[in-house]
Amino acid sequence: PRVPAEHSPSLAGLPRVPAERGPSPCILADSREISSGPGVISCLRAVHGLRVQVCSLGSSDYIVSSRLAVDRLLQSELQSPGNRNKLSQRLQRLRGAFERICVIVETDRARPGETSRLFQRTQCYDGVLSALVQAGIRILFSSCQEESAALLKDLALLEHRKDAAIQLPPEPQGHRRDVLGFYLSIPNLSYGAALNLCHSFGSITAVANSSVPALAAGARLSRPQAEELHRFLRHDFDLQLLPQPLPAKGKS
Amino acid sequence: PVTAGSIVVPFGHVIGNEKWRGSEVAQRLQGKVRLIFEDGLGLVDFHLSNRTCILLISEADLVAGDEYKRRLVRFRNASSLRGIVIVEKTQISNQYYSGVQKLVVLELGMVLLPVANQGEASQLIIQLVSFCVREQSRDRGANPFLRKQRAQPAEAAVLQAVQHIPGVGKTKALLLLQQFGSIHRLCNASTSELEQVVGQTVAQQVYTF
Repeated sequence: PRVPAEHSPSLAGLPRVPAERGPSPCILADSREISSGPGVISCLRAVHGLRVQVCSLGSSDYIVSSRLAVDRLLQSELQSPGNRNKLSQRLQRLRGAFERICVIVETDRARPGETSRLFQRTQCYDGVLSALVQAGIRILFSSCQEESAALLKDLALLEHRKDAAIQLPPEPQGHRRDVLGFYLSIPNLSYGAALNLCHSFGSITAVANSSVPALAAGARLSRPQAEELHRFLRHDFDLQLLPQPLPAKGKS
Repeated sequence: PVTAGSIVVPFGHVIGNEKWRGSEVAQRLQGKVRLIFEDGLGLVDFHLSNRTCILLISEADLVAGDEYKRRLVRFRNASSLRGIVIVEKTQISNQYYSGVQKLVVLELGMVLLPVANQGEASQLIIQLVSFCVREQSRDRGANPFLRKQRAQPAEAAVLQAVQHIPGVGKTKALLLLQQFGSIHRLCNASTSELEQVVGQTVAQQVYTF
């Protein structure tokens, strides 16, 4: 439902949704964001009129298109070296699955009763930013959850224009749901790519028999990603290579 | 003069635009990085490496109007260098920030980093330089975000995937994979071939899936 911006005075300054043709783009949000970023999700829905589907993404906070993942980070998370390892592992995993990654660095909310803390820029903070820049990860800065929502909307519209939007419906039912689960278990395959496979191919057999270019086109994957998927589907299983020895079957 | 071409930056040096000589940024950079001033850099304020350069937008530029936008667009059109835009985001210029961000990041596809003052700008430039130096020395492993994840054997993942087929648990997944070898061949197996490994019901389930 589209609520006119006038009805919510605190958000009145935000740009309205431009009148567009066709359905508005869809954004997938990770279920953890319901608790950590409720303002973002409700603002996306109410103010910007976007479809937000909450699903268990695991990898990133938001998926904006079939190739772009967005992570929302708090400024304080970048301040101390303690988080650095966790952050880099998270972003490495994203790099495996997505062509483009964007982080939104959001100013921490002042807790009630707290006078606004002065933001002390640390060397670590600059170091993380430099590393992100060097890695080709896009960085956006936001001062609050509402602004983060506006940025997500801008990104979604941009990707929509470039014809990389998420295919609908974002959450298939019945048999297709099982098929989606199968695709999602493939390593380095993003939720968006798995959805595309669901929508573009009639069956798993059709996917398995497809050539690399056909996979790239159908799932909107980059060439190396399509090659990886192709390799995976034709991977010759070798029991010896299983990481841990299997437990003895049965209890006898 | 609208020049934004690439220039050769000696290893580990920063080339600064003559106009910054004596400024707070330059003073703070000196001693930390090897800074050389040069005339005629045109649109660029600092060259960090042969590929990377910095455009500084001050609080005053933001308040003054749209001139800085023309400068950025001219740079983008004229140069293939990676341009990092550093903008002074203060209480006064804060209101312009989201507009700048939309232009620089979303429309021009450049990098935008806010700082509160010239002191912070110099700190940030020092960090950026150290990453540029590492990049030139091909020490890419130093960047935690670029490091490759260790490739895991596909076996476990294949086994996991097969268990998503209705009616197939770990034991049947193993049996199926031992018989057919890959997901590709499993997909193309006939019902009768499947029946030799698993029961009739499950064979039918696997086939229809």
